[in-house]
Amino acid sequence: MDKSTFIEDDGGSDSDEISHSFICCVCRDLLYKPIVLSCGHISCFWCVHRSMDGLWESRCPICRHPYIHFPTICQMLHLLLLKMYPVAYKRRENQILEEEMKQETFSPQLNSQACNHWGDPASFSTMVFESNSSSDPSSPRKGEAYANTEVLMSDSQVQDDGIGTLVEISDGNSEVIRNIAVEEKYCKQVSVADVLCLECKQLLFRPVVLICGHVYCESCVIISAVEMLKCQVCQTSHPRGFPKVCLELDHFLEEQFPKEYMLRRDGILLKLVDVEHKHPTICSTGTAKQGEPAKQGENLLHWPDSHSIVHAACGCDSCGICPIIGDRYKCKDCKEKIGFDLCGDCYNTQSKLPGRFNQQHTPEHKFELVRNAPNMLRLTLQYNSIVIASEVSENGSPASNLSSDAQENDENDLADPVASHDAGDGKTGSQSNS
Amino acid sequence: MAASGIKVSPKSDNLARLVGTIPGPIGTPYEGGTFQIDISLPDGYPFEPPKMQFATKVWHPNISSQSGAICLDILKDQWSPALTLKTALLSVQALLSAPEPDDPQDAVVAQQYIREYQTFLGTARYWTESFAKASSLGVEEKVQRLVEMGFAEAHVRSSLEAVGGDENLALEKLCSG
Repeated sequence: MDKSTFIEDDGGSDSDEISHSFICCVCRDLLYKPIVLSCGHISCFWCVHRSMDGLWESRCPICRHPYIHFPTICQMLHLLLLKMYPVAYKRRENQILEEEMKQETFSPQLNSQACNHWGDPASFSTMVFESNSSSDPSSPRKGEAYANTEVLMSDSQVQDDGIGTLVEISDGNSEVIRNIAVEEKYCKQVSVADVLCLECKQLLFRPVVLICGHVYCESCVIISAVEMLKCQVCQTSHPRGFPKVCLELDHFLEEQFPKEYMLRRDGILLKLVDVEHKHPTICSTGTAKQGEPAKQGENLLHWPDSHSIVHAACGCDSCGICPIIGDRYKCKDCKEKIGFDLCGDCYNTQSKLPGRFNQQHTPEHKFELVRNAPNMLRLTLQYNSIVIASEVSENGSPASNLSSDAQENDENDLADPVASHDAGDGKTGSQSNS
Repeated sequence: MAASGIKVSPKSDNLARLVGTIPGPIGTPYEGGTFQIDISLPDGYPFEPPKMQFATKVWHPNISSQSGAICLDILKDQWSPALTLKTALLSVQALLSAPEPDDPQDAVVAQQYIREYQTFLGTARYWTESFAKASSLGVEEKVQRLVEMGFAEAHVRSSLEAVGGDENLALEKLCSG
């Protein structure tokens, strides 16, 4: 830094200890309830939400990579940060809670039980790092033999003997010992067990975070030529092609666990030689994009034709798409200020996911179909946004179409919702063809 | 970054009102000048761009010579919440080095930039000299001295402007013309 004075550098007492990797690019503080966008950049829950565009597709604050789905908080990172910086994280929690109280809108509650959300809790406790098997990804389930054992490896031990001694502790004691360690020297007392891939159950190598917040090694994400990329834990579809590696997390892992990281790299390289014959594009983000899954998303203009209704600044509480386009189902029983909304697709698939803002929504709640939201402010905003977008748009053709249609939208809002739905589908089809 | 010389300081107790300072980039007619920029932060900052305009008068195609309004995409629709006041001011500084006459804020300046580039350079230098250099000798004093030598005031002013405010060059010009 130079001599400049900057008000955004608040210089909290704990901020100098926090790794640069975990500073939010928007609020310049420790990440709180981190979200990893599909471009691999991390930001806080609220920072992402507030950065999103209510009318148009949103863009990553750092790289401007476009996206339309509000991703779910990355619980692994959340727990990792909580462990590494308990004091600073608590401070952030209080700070954010205060803001949330003022706004009467809350971020999702993530407590220690959050692990259950990761799918099978039993498998979570058996995630074992084995240095001797790390080069053998063909047997990731090997760890289950140690169902009652948790293997921990601390950073210091690795550096001491240079080999990576495995410390075996019986299950009952491991938590106690870990807690003591956290209290005594909280920073950097993270173990490999905190940063495991959900698929191979080994140290993450080149981690990618799916829209559901689950973290995998780039090489462990299964790409199907036919279907969309799907999370193996929660079965959520990951829209818009292959996510990019979260480089900040990757660099952190490389620094924090150099030995294990090297072993993983060697293992992956060996595996790749094998795989390349069968699926030449499996591990390269660049080439995977040109593959099948990318087709659904890489053309990013999701703006529909004139028949569709855009529900400004209103996102789906299930899939996270924002703004909702076409049919919007609004819960009549949720009392929260932010409400609870579903897009047409999620309403029809009877999603059971909780709300994105800690709403107390239950399956008994009734929905009403919102077909239009005509108010002049929205239309004006929409119109402006279209004009701006048409300037930005890389291929100007759809944009010119839009500006002339914008005024018609008011009438179309009232038009048959079925027609608008079809129109939306038609648009998706034409998009993937283009 | 230490060499950027960019500063931001609060105008008063209200932290939403700030003053940024950028040095004129070397190798441009703004070299040697120090430019002040009024910054006001909207309630939505950093999710909305800061409002910036030049408090120092500056002759540039993308900056209004009247109001100091800046035509820069990142201060408008290309704003990103990951940008800071520092990076935004760096962009403004870069704009001084790389004018975009095709997307002007000040049409007069832009026309001059396109049609009479040398005149543009002279005027820009003169404005830098006149308005962006607090420490240097005031223009009025130069005018006064040259007028005392016997030249007409209007002539003196146009000559000074043409050579970018350099007193000796203006004298040469007055003598030869």
